[in-house]
Amino acid sequence: MRAERPAKAERFWPITLASVAILFALWAGVSVLGLVNPLFLPGPGLLFSSFIDLLFNGYKGYSLPAHIGVSLMRVALGFGSGAIVGTLIGLGMGAMPLFDAFAAPFVEFLRPLPQLAYLVLLIVWFGIGETSKIVLLFLTALPVAAIAARDGVRNVPRERIQAARALGASPGQIFRHVIFFSALPEIFVGARLAIGIVYATLIAAEIIAGSDGIGWLVFDAGRFLRSDYVFVGVLLIGLMGLGLDFGLRTLERRVVHWAGK
Amino acid sequence: MRTGKHFNRRHVLAAGLGFGAGAAVMRSARAAAPPEARVGYFVETKPTMIAKSLGWFADAMNTKIAWSEMGSGAEINTGIAAGGLDFGLAIGSSPVAAGIAQGLGYQLIGMVDNIGPAEEMTVRASANIARPADFIGKKVGTPFGSTSHFRLMGFLAVNHLSQGEVTVLDMSPEQIVAAWKRGDIDAAYVWSPAKAEILADGGKVYETYKELDAAGYVIADLIVVRTAFARRYPDAVAGFLSAYGKALNLYVTDPDKAAAIIGKAAGVSAAVAKANLAEYDFVSLKDQLSADWLGPPGSPGKFAEVLHGTASFLVQQKSIRAAPPLAVFEKAINTTYLAKAVG
Repeated sequence: MRAERPAKAERFWPITLASVAILFALWAGVSVLGLVNPLFLPGPGLLFSSFIDLLFNGYKGYSLPAHIGVSLMRVALGFGSGAIVGTLIGLGMGAMPLFDAFAAPFVEFLRPLPQLAYLVLLIVWFGIGETSKIVLLFLTALPVAAIAARDGVRNVPRERIQAARALGASPGQIFRHVIFFSALPEIFVGARLAIGIVYATLIAAEIIAGSDGIGWLVFDAGRFLRSDYVFVGVLLIGLMGLGLDFGLRTLERRVVHWAGK
Repeated sequence: MRTGKHFNRRHVLAAGLGFGAGAAVMRSARAAAPPEARVGYFVETKPTMIAKSLGWFADAMNTKIAWSEMGSGAEINTGIAAGGLDFGLAIGSSPVAAGIAQGLGYQLIGMVDNIGPAEEMTVRASANIARPADFIGKKVGTPFGSTSHFRLMGFLAVNHLSQGEVTVLDMSPEQIVAAWKRGDIDAAYVWSPAKAEILADGGKVYETYKELDAAGYVIADLIVVRTAFARRYPDAVAGFLSAYGKALNLYVTDPDKAAAIIGKAAGVSAAVAKANLAEYDFVSLKDQLSADWLGPPGSPGKFAEVLHGTASFLVQQKSIRAAPPLAVFEKAINTTYLAKAVG
């Protein structure tokens, strides 16, 4: 399976390229012919000049790299802390049924909860600074990572554990050398899932008393229908998301290179 | 097939005439009363709520109204741009200036109020803020994109304070109250009930509105209508304004009765409603037609300049891309319906 995937992707890249090119041509055509009000769909030329404008003049007090940087910092801290704590909890839940029974209600409750529902509570508890934003992202990442890690531990083949035990490994050794590494591929899948959700929550986090961040930029520009900035922001957010996912995938390939084999 | 044979040219002609006549009748009927009017509004303590809750708008327009509660003037702009709303009721002057500058298809047909001191800076009494320079290093909350935000930006500009010196934070009114109670902000530029709540909780008024109104940062709440709707149903649009005029009249002649109705509609006590109402300057329909405000039909008043100035300021703030010349704002003001409503 794994060996085939890159080959397939390579074979079909012209189709990917064509689909992007067709969309671009349609977009350029529609805006050059003036079929759509640029307020609803800014053309490529306008978008490019708006991007240059943002790049050199910044947006409402901060440069574009500063907006991007502060957003990445929030994602990194929120996702990082949430994924680490979540994974630890998940490992515990998978290994110890007692702990699972103890922690499951909280994790399961938190996971489907829409973040906007408790946004005001976070402000009341943690204020309007960075803390409430990062806590929001932390709470978003945690249950996803926990459940992935728990399921990863549960899905470790029994015979692998029995074989290690037969070879004389202690429970601690079994956990560290067998269970953890067997669950690692699923932990990574959970991490990729979590970063996607954290990233999607970024706008909700940044509208808490915002004045910076790429998510806030898009939200604020949308308020006055500055669709050129909205489009630039959305494109940047999308590209940053692809970049983050690519980074995690590369890490995954390095760390769990044995997965699927 | 058989019917086709009988269907000769004369029949076709007759049918065509009949259809045409029917359509003409329908058109004239529809011109008088629209099948429905979609109004974006805010739940607030203003006389508009009298006309809404007693059904005066619907009666005067001779139609049913689909009311949508909006979160901000920007949402009304988006709703009208998308063709999903016909009226914006009590939309702030800064979103209206932005909407006209962006060529949204709507007209300014009337005012609800001149905001004056109703939106004002509130500072924490213990923060010792007495002069503009005292704001340096302080955090001020305001809902971005609102008239309050516009005034606050004007306050900074007039006093040569930069946004690096004063931290301006984007918060909804309820977030302002929460952050105030936690001690996260020292000042806020907002309207009631949030303003009343923080004033009651260790806040005091820091007056800016007189200076800012004089410097051209006038803010007001306005009534806009989708241009295509107004062209098609001019009588209904005039009816909408006369219903508001009637409500305003009730407030002027019997403020206690008005406050009771408004309080009930807005979900606050009559006393709170009365106190909130007293903060606003509700300009009478007749005065709106004077050169100081919207002006008589065909001769736009001073308010066109306010809108033009607001739009130019929003360009500096990067909120909108460009501001058109004054003439565009003058053209967007249409007081023919207002003149008709005043009678």
